[in-house]
This record gives sequence, C-alpha cells and structure tokens, in this order.
Amino acid sequence: MPEFSGHLSLRAAARAGGRTVLATQSFRAPYHLSKPYWDADTRTLLVQVVNPTAGILAGDRLESAIAVDTGAALLVTTPSASRIFKMRDGTAECRQHFTVADGGWLEVMPEPLVPHRGCRYRQFTTIEVTPGGALFFADQLVPGRVAHDEAWVWERLCLEIDVRLGGELVLRERLDQTGAELRAMAAFAGPGPNACFANAVLLAPETTAEAGWQAPLAALHGQGLWLGLSQLRRGGWSLKLIAPDGVRLRKGLRDVRTILAGAFRHLACDPRKL
Amino acid sequence: MTSARATGIKVKRVAPNAADTPAASRRQADLPTGGPETDWLLGLLQAGDSFYPTGSYAHSFGLEGLVQQGVVRDRATLREFVLQSALPALRHTDLPLAAYVWRALETPDWERVGEISVLASALKTARESRAAAENIGRQRAELMAALHGHPLAQEYLTRAAAAAWPFSPAVSAALEGRVLGAPLPAVLAGITYAALAALLSAAMKLLRLGQNASQALLTEALSRAPALIAAAATPLDEIGWFNPWLDIAAARHESADSRMFIS
Repeated sequence: MPEFSGHLSLRAAARAGGRTVLATQSFRAPYHLSKPYWDADTRTLLVQVVNPTAGILAGDRLESAIAVDTGAALLVTTPSASRIFKMRDGTAECRQHFTVADGGWLEVMPEPLVPHRGCRYRQFTTIEVTPGGALFFADQLVPGRVAHDEAWVWERLCLEIDVRLGGELVLRERLDQTGAELRAMAAFAGPGPNACFANAVLLAPETTAEAGWQAPLAALHGQGLWLGLSQLRRGGWSLKLIAPDGVRLRKGLRDVRTILAGAFRHLACDPRKL
Repeated sequence: MTSARATGIKVKRVAPNAADTPAASRRQADLPTGGPETDWLLGLLQAGDSFYPTGSYAHSFGLEGLVQQGVVRDRATLREFVLQSALPALRHTDLPLAAYVWRALETPDWERVGEISVLASALKTARESRAAAENIGRQRAELMAALHGHPLAQEYLTRAAAAAWPFSPAVSAALEGRVLGAPLPAVLAGITYAALAALLSAAMKLLRLGQNASQALLTEALSRAPALIAAAATPLDEIGWFNPWLDIAAARHESADSRMFIS
C-alpha cells in the first residue's frame, strides 16, 4: 500500500470589489481540490478539499496550511467523512494550520472523522487569528463504523487543537483517550453507545456576552442533544455538541450554523453547494 | 511533665550511660526531631485543609452541572465520575502542570512559569471552570505570600501582575511547595488530596451522601494517587484531557436558573 506525504497550501485573498479568490494554491496527493465556488449571496468562497483515496492509511503524513488575508472570506469543507483505516503497523498523522488576518473570515467545516478498528491516528490543528479576524472551526468525530457494529475500537486516536488570538494561546484541547475510556464515558453520561461529538470554536471581534444568538443556541440543548457554549479566555467562544448518532449531530450543527448566520453572514453559505 | 503513670505508657528505665550504646542511637534516630521536614509537612497539611481559605468550598468543579443534567445522581454515579473524570483530569492536567512549575521554580525560570500559567488557563474550556481556577489560584498565591513572606512568592505575584498571567491552583500549589521546601511527590499528593476532598465535600451537599460513604470514596480515589503522581512526568505538549460532558455541563451551569455553587 503506498504511503502518502500529502501537502495542501491555500491562501485566500480579496480582489477589487471584495470578491475572494485563491491567490496561491498547491497540493499533492492524497489532497485534491475542487473548483472553488463564489457564493455571491454570502460573499464567501467555497472550497472542497477532496481525498480521492479510500481514506487515511498507515504511514500517511498529511500537512495543510490555509491562510485568509484581510477582506477575504473562505469556507473549507470536505465532500465526505474521513475514514481512518485499520493499521497493521505504523501510524498516520495530519497537521493542519489555519491563519486569519485582520478583517478576514475563515470557516472550516469538514465532514466527520471515522476511526476504524485498530487505527492509530494523530491530528494536530493550530489556529492563529489576528485580532479583527474571524473564524468558525468545527471538528466532528463519530465513534466508528456504527452501521457495522464497530465503535470505539481505535488503537490510538489523538486529536489536538491550539487556538491563538494575536499570538496568545486562548484554547488548548487534547483528546487522547482510548476507545474504551470514551465508550465508558458515553455510557455513563447518557447519549448512548454511538455518541458523536462536535467541537467548534468561534472567534470573532464582535462577539460579546450580550449578543442575541447565545440564548437560541443554548435552547438547542435537549432531546438527546447536549450543547454547551462558553466564552474563551479572549475573543471568542467554545461550542461543544454531543449527539446520540451522526444524524442528530449533523442536524444540531446545521441548526447552530443557521442561528449564527444571523450574526455572521458567511455562515449562511451552504457547505453542500458543490 | 506528664508522668508515665498518668499516660499509661510503659517506659523502660535506662542507665544514665545507656545513650552511648548502638541500640540507643538507633532509637534516637527514629524519634521525631522536628526541623525542615516537619516544617514543609505542616505547611502542606495547612494548605490542604478545608480550614484554609482558598474559596474552594464555594465550587463544585463542574459536579453541580452534571447533577443538574442528571448524570451524577447517587453514590454509584459519583464514583463513576470520580474514576472516569476527576482522576484522569488530575493525571493529565493538574499534576503535570504543577510538576513543570515546581521544576521551573528551582532556577527560577519565570518565562516557563508564565507559559504554563497561560496553558493552564487555556486548558479550561468553560468560562466558569476557568474563573473558578483563577480565583482559587489567586487566593492561594496571595495567602501564601502573606503568610510566609517568602521572596519567591512575592516575586511570583509581582511578575504575574506585570505580565497578566492567569492564576491557577496547580501553579500556586507548586509555588507553595517551593516556598515550604516540599519535595515534588508531596506537592502532587497535596494537590490530589485537596482536589478530591473539595469535590467530595461538594458532593455531600448535592447528593444524598453520608460522611462515611464520601470518606470511603475518597479512600478509594486516594489509593490511586501514587500511580497518578508517578505518571506526572507527561511531556508538556501532551498535557490535556477531553471530557465534553463536563465542559457542556459547566457551560450550562453558567446560566442555570438556580445553583448552590459558583462553578
């Protein structure tokens, strides 16, 4: 099986008239890029990052760097879930780095990670936002191939995220539990054996504790969906969702984006438009 | 002087020159003599006592939020929470953070202390949990400086104010250890005890849980402390623990209609 040393580099910039374009782009397998779509209604450039291979395999090393310049607005998504396959030996690793300049907007909304039985995967995400820049990042995790009755059986899954605002660390999170540990927590806390997670961060200069979207967001909690919203050390919010299954999680995130779109118009851009 | 007759303790009569014998020397060595070792031990006992005003009695450390969500309901679910969440959180965050600061304070390496102070704050996702840690850490550091007048504590407070370092119970406990001259394992044991005792003390107010039951659970949790302390040498970039249920419960507790604890 070939091992990939994938690379993706994008820089979104604003042209005259405010339209966002990809000023620079380069990528190497397994990364591939769809043709960007300019959503005139929300003034957002939509880009799908495609992995044309079956998924992530042992030995894969993936690196991506996505930057948004002043005045540009970019939505990055993926067309399907990222499967992390069983690894007889070795590990896979993904390092992704996102930067947003003052006056830029970046949304990162990939489809969920699906860790298969016996996989070993490490993902480092670093986000750097200049004060005045804005970002919505949402990572989703499902416990495995639940339709095949295979859940929580990865060998090692480590998901890390560092978020910096103006160079200062405002959030660090690290999931490094075994599947058994998370399954036990899911069984104990309620959402059941197929609990799915979404971990989102909203950084935006205009977010305040008095903004009108917090109460509607908080009201999404219930009927099996857990949702918590809390302010970060500076400049933004942490949003966490737990759902009993992937369908409910997807609906929850869709509702979150709809509510937030009232305050952040770029979130009205449909990630499934392509 | 209390006589042997009054205390009921049998005292073996020894000859005046018997202190020179090897057996007597061994007995003398076993006697508590006081000095630096008992000084730091007494200091840690004082700082770990509920009588010590750090303000932690006003916090449940997310437990009340989980009780409100119906996750922790009784002794059995409280035990699950302690084993699945409270102990791993100590193992993966508070203890390694304190260990790094304790080592950094030897030189002292203030840049590292500042870096870890920010990291400790950034690891607290929910605002309420972060504010609780900040307040307890500040109270603890300021009280220590006031009680001991140690230059290390004074310099920490000066630097923390100048650089706007967030306060943290783990950082303050490490500083306390250095001020008292306590070895690292003892400092980490003190942190473990204080965290678990505060949590279970809050649990007694939130649940139908008696003193003996809470002490039994505390005993069980403390029996795992040596393994946690031994594992505190976590690399700095591996510090962190993921419990989205606790984070969500803490986030929702911020706007709860009624509550007993600040966090």
